[in-house]
Amino acid sequence: MNFFFHINLIFLAFILTSNTFAQNQIVADLSQENVKIATDFQGAKILLFGAYDGKKGDDIIVIVTGPKGLVTVQKKEKILGVWVNTKKVNYINTPKYLSISSNRKIDVILNKKTQKLSEIGLNNLKIRIQPGIKVENEGNWRQALTRNMLKSNLWSINENSVTLNKDSLFRSYLELPSNVITGQFEVKILHYRNSKLVSQQINSINVSKSGISAEIYDIAQNYSTLYGIFAVLLAVLIGWGSNLIFRKV
Amino acid sequence: MYIYLPIAEQPIHSLAILGIGAFLGLIMGLVGVGGGFLLTPLMMFLGIPPPVAVASVANQLVAPSVSGVLSHWKRSNVDFKMGTVLLLGGIVGSSIGVILFNFLGKIGQLDFVIKSSYVIFLTLIGTLMFSESLRLILRTRKGKVTRGKLHQHNWLHGLPFKIRFRKSKLYISILLPILIGVIVGILAALMGIGGGFIIVPAMIYLLGMPTSLVVGTSLFQIIFVAANTTILQASQNQTVDIVLATILLLGSVIGVQLGSRFTNILRGEYLRLILSSIIILVSLKLLIDLVTVPSDLFSVIISR
Repeated sequence: MNFFFHINLIFLAFILTSNTFAQNQIVADLSQENVKIATDFQGAKILLFGAYDGKKGDDIIVIVTGPKGLVTVQKKEKILGVWVNTKKVNYINTPKYLSISSNRKIDVILNKKTQKLSEIGLNNLKIRIQPGIKVENEGNWRQALTRNMLKSNLWSINENSVTLNKDSLFRSYLELPSNVITGQFEVKILHYRNSKLVSQQINSINVSKSGISAEIYDIAQNYSTLYGIFAVLLAVLIGWGSNLIFRKV
Repeated sequence: MYIYLPIAEQPIHSLAILGIGAFLGLIMGLVGVGGGFLLTPLMMFLGIPPPVAVASVANQLVAPSVSGVLSHWKRSNVDFKMGTVLLLGGIVGSSIGVILFNFLGKIGQLDFVIKSSYVIFLTLIGTLMFSESLRLILRTRKGKVTRGKLHQHNWLHGLPFKIRFRKSKLYISILLPILIGVIVGILAALMGIGGGFIIVPAMIYLLGMPTSLVVGTSLFQIIFVAANTTILQASQNQTVDIVLATILLLGSVIGVQLGSRFTNILRGEYLRLILSSIIILVSLKLLIDLVTVPSDLFSVIISR
């Protein structure tokens, strides 16, 4: 892969230095665009690499956003000496995976206002509470969401993880944890000069189940009763079989 | 070697699961109870979502139960008549249990109900078993081996619809084993257990069955309760992880074979003393978890 990677980089650098492309261009590619969750899946590490038409002091921010949907935050309270989940808040349109990577501290690259406007940063996401729910101390709930998503490695901030080379090449490793959700992931690469966006590119990664693990999942969803009966029969067979084997020993 | 679980949607070390299965199979073969009530909490500690843990453990329980019953049957240690009556109640109970399970999941109290049920029942059964076996051991030590009545007669024996269980040398109301079956079935489905640790003491202390028949008969009824739970969990909640269950059961069938081989070597009351100590420890651990302040009061659920 290393060899392949270098060829690619040379090729990308060539494109950029030739005059066929307009100024302020960014080109990027991924070492893997389809992530297959098979029986040996333990997470994936994807290399993002590319070239940009940079100057000294330019910055690159990479934002990977997974499928969005419902995430519920629960809160425990003490009732009769025991801690029980008593309250919950539903967040809709919440990314179930999010990683923000950059070549240096984001606060140095962009001021707070720009971060907010361009929705960069965990607190600047357009996440909404399900309409119709009244929430006290909304800030606490929102913080709890961020804290727990970070803890599960589904959200991450990786400052200093984008490596720049000679103001023309960049690379970064994107890590998908083993508990990652399947679906379409958007990889947005942003190129900043003096806090101004000069170019950007969007790539995508598709995460799907594959092989026997995907088939088992499909059968469990679509033929659930048959699946249950099969699971029982398999267990009976193994139990019975083991008895036959052990009787002879 | 890590293996990705298709329903739990996470990788897990297959040898660790195999080992845990074997250890619990051994306990099951020795005492006739035990796989589930230790297995389900262990799976949760490993990060398997509680609904998947409960349903998959029910699935795996089928195999060592089948294997165990066959060995006990050979030694004529199964009362099939009593087992059938118990399992009729068990099937009704486990169906109620799965419905209840579904409902509790919807209102977000499943974890709490599972854990507090464990605390209550494990403490109760553990203490009862512990004191009983300790008393037996002390009495034998003193050399006063007095054989009392076959079983105590109480109001339970006054119930109607009496039938005769020849094998168990009992003449009791059919309502009693059915009721025991229903209660155990509900708990089995709700807690991811075969129900052996409740039904075995119930058979000894409430029904007054001979101890030699208890293990085989309870395993016989567990097969059907666990099978019913598995099929219902699969069709209602899609939470049975066949890969997890299969690895667990491969370990447990080996364990249960070894265990049932030693069952005549180790004395029953010593076994029960050890088991009841484990039960009490597990319930203490769960109780502590419930009453200590959680490190984070908030938690998230990501819908798939």
